[in-house]
Amino acid sequence: MHSFNFEPVDLPAGIPEFRREIRDFLKRELAGTPAAQKANSWAVFDAEFSRKLGARGWIGLVWPKAYGGHERSAIERYVLLEELLAAGAPVGAHWIADRQSGPAILRFGTEAQRLKYLPDMARGETYCCIGMSEPNAGSDLASVRTRAEQLSDGRWKINGQKIWTTQAQRCQLIIALVRTRPLDENNRQAGLSQFLIELDTPGIQVRPIVDLVGETHFNEVFFEDCLVEADCLLGTEGEGWKQVTGELSLERSGPERYMSSLALYLELLRVAGPEPDASLKQALGRMAAEIWTLRQMSLSVAGQLARGQDPSVEAAIVKDLGNSFEQSLPMLVQGLTEAGVRLEDDTDFVKVLSYLLQNAPSFSLRGGTREILRGIIARGLGLR
Amino acid sequence: MSEHKQMLADAVTRLFRDAGDAAGAAEREGWRAALWSQVEELGLPLLLVPEDQGGVGGDWGDVHAVLHAAGYYAIPLPVGESMLATHWAGAAGLELPSGATSIATDLEGELSAQSGDFRFSGTLHGVPWGRHVDTIAAVTTCEGAPHLMLLPRAAAQVHQAQNLAFEPRDRLHFDQAPVLAAACDLASLFDQCALMRVAQITGALEAALHRSIDYVKERKQFGRAIGKFQAVQQQLAVFGSEVAAVACAARAASLAASRGEAGFQIAAAKLRANMAIAIATSTAHQVHAAIGFTQEYGLRFATQRLWSWRSEFGNDRYWSERLGAQLAQRGADRFWSDLTERDDAVA
Repeated sequence: MHSFNFEPVDLPAGIPEFRREIRDFLKRELAGTPAAQKANSWAVFDAEFSRKLGARGWIGLVWPKAYGGHERSAIERYVLLEELLAAGAPVGAHWIADRQSGPAILRFGTEAQRLKYLPDMARGETYCCIGMSEPNAGSDLASVRTRAEQLSDGRWKINGQKIWTTQAQRCQLIIALVRTRPLDENNRQAGLSQFLIELDTPGIQVRPIVDLVGETHFNEVFFEDCLVEADCLLGTEGEGWKQVTGELSLERSGPERYMSSLALYLELLRVAGPEPDASLKQALGRMAAEIWTLRQMSLSVAGQLARGQDPSVEAAIVKDLGNSFEQSLPMLVQGLTEAGVRLEDDTDFVKVLSYLLQNAPSFSLRGGTREILRGIIARGLGLR
Repeated sequence: MSEHKQMLADAVTRLFRDAGDAAGAAEREGWRAALWSQVEELGLPLLLVPEDQGGVGGDWGDVHAVLHAAGYYAIPLPVGESMLATHWAGAAGLELPSGATSIATDLEGELSAQSGDFRFSGTLHGVPWGRHVDTIAAVTTCEGAPHLMLLPRAAAQVHQAQNLAFEPRDRLHFDQAPVLAAACDLASLFDQCALMRVAQITGALEAALHRSIDYVKERKQFGRAIGKFQAVQQQLAVFGSEVAAVACAARAASLAASRGEAGFQIAAAKLRANMAIAIATSTAHQVHAAIGFTQEYGLRFATQRLWSWRSEFGNDRYWSERLGAQLAQRGADRFWSDLTERDDAVA
C-alpha cells in the first residue's frame, strides 16, 4: 500500500544568518506598511519593491548565474519565500516569474529566450502572468480553445481568450497554453503548446475584472489575429500539457499555500494579549498546531523538490490541507473575538479580518481547485 | 537510520505482522505471553537505554518506527510503556527492571525514605497493562525533590479497568509498599508518554486508512465498486491527507525529541493527531457502513484504540491550552521567529 513521503528535512548550515539578513532588509523596507496590506502579500503588486529585491539578488535565487540567477539552494529559496510572506512583503509583481515562468523558461526555453528574459526577471523588472484558464476551460484545462496556427513564414497567428489572468494588466509577459492542433477527443491533452508572448504585441487586449472586494487583480486577455514570431513557442510544439503539468507541481508546493491567513493569526495573538481566556488559548493552540504541521509538510516537500524528486501528490496534499486551514481561519477568528463584532471599526485587526474573510474563498480555487486536488490525492491512494 | 536500526525496524514489523489477531486474542484470552517474550528477545524495552548501560542506544526515530508498527497491527502489549519505564530507570541510575514494565503519570500518595529504604503509600491511576506487568515507573516528590520510583506490581491491590479498546488501564493501590527510588532530574515525562501515543496513533490511522481503501475497492453498489464514486474518493482523499499530516508531525516531533527539548513539537503533534482522529475514524466508519460497526470486523481494533488514545496523555483541551498559553505569553512579534528557530537551530 502506498504511503506518502513526508520525511523531515534538515535545514543546511547558514540558514539563521540568511534569515537575519532577510529580516533586517524587510524591517527597513516595510516600516510603516499598514497591516491590511500585509494580509495577502503575494497579491500586492509593487514594482519598486520587486526591483529592490532583485538588486539584493533575491529573485531567481536558484537560477544559473549565466541568466542573472544566483545559484543558491532550493531550501534557501524556500526560506526566503516564507520570510517574505511572514512579513507580508508586497511580492505580487515578480512572484509568478520567480516561482513558475522563469523555471519554465529555464527548463523548456531556447538559449535565446533564456538570455532575453531571465536576467530582467531576476532584476525584478520583467513580470510574467499565467495564461491557462479560459471561459470554458477551468479545472478541465485540456479543453482550452485559444488557437495558434502557423503561417507559411513560420510565424504563428493566435486567436482566442484567456481569463482570470492575474496581474496581466501590469505584466510584460504571458505564457499562454494554446491549441496548435485540432482537439482529438480520444487524446484531449495532445496538440497543446505553450507560447511566451510579450503583452504589448498588437492583437492583444487586456481587460481587468473587478473582484468582490473591489480590487482588480485578474483580467480577461483577448487574442485577435495576434501575430507572434516562431521563436515565441516555448518548448516543444504539442508538448504543452506535459510542460504545464510540471509547472503545476511548482505552483502547488510553496509556503504561500498555507500562509495566506498568517497575518490574521498574528493580529489575533496581538489582541489576545499575554493572558487570554481559556477558549481563546485553545483556539490559539489549535491553530498553531496546524501551522506548525503544515510548515513541516511544506518544508518536507521543498526538501524533496531540492533533491530532484517529484512529490506531486504530496504537493497536492499540502495545498489542500493548507488551503482548508487558511480558508477556515478568518471565520474562526470572526466567531471568537469581541474585536470581530464590529466590522466597520478602523483597527488593524478588523481590517485584516475583513480583507481575509472576503478573499478566503479564492484560496481553494487558485492553483487547482480543492476537488481537483482531492482527485489527485485519491489517485495517489490507488482509487482512480 | 543505520543498517542495524533498519534491521530492528524490519524485524519488529515482521513480528507484529505475523502476530495475526493478537488484539482479538487478548480480548478473549488476556495477556499474550509468547508475543511479549519475543518483544523482549528483540530488546525493545531497552531501545532508549544507551549502549554503555546495556541498552540498544536507539533514538526517538527508532521508537517511532517500532510504535508505528505496534499501532498499525494493534499489538496488545505495553511495548512503548516498557521502553519509557526502562529508559527512565536507567536515567535515574536505578537498576534496569526486567519483565514487563509500565508507567504511571497520574498518581497521588506519599514516598517516604528511611535509612535508604523507600516506601510508597498511594494510588496510581490508569496504569496501562497494570495487572500484567511486574514493575511500574512513576515520579513523585520525596523530601522536596522529585524521585523516580520503581513499584512492584505484586505489592499492589489492583482495580481492573480498561479503555475503549479493552486495553487494561488499571488503578493500583499501594500501602507502605517497599519500592526502589532515586532522586532524579527527569523532565517532560508526560510529554514522552504523549509522543509514544502519537507514534501508535500514526500506525492505527494508517491501518484504518488502508482497510478503508481495500474495502471500497471491493464493495460493490449500483453495479460498481463504491471506491469509483467521486463522493467516496473525495472523502478518502481528506482522510489520507489527515493521516499524512499526522505522520509528518509525528516524525518531526520524534526528530526534535532526539535532539533535545521538544515540548512545543510534541504538543503540536499530539494535538494535530487528536484532531485527525475525529475526521479519520468517522470517515473510516462511514465508508464501511454497517459491517464496520460489528464486533467481528477488525476496523474497530484501529478505531477503538484511536478514540481511547485521543484522551490519553492529553486531550485537545489540555494541549491546546498549554500551547495557547505559551504562545500568548511570547506574543505576536515572536511567534514566527520562534517557529523557524526550532528547525534552524539544528543546522
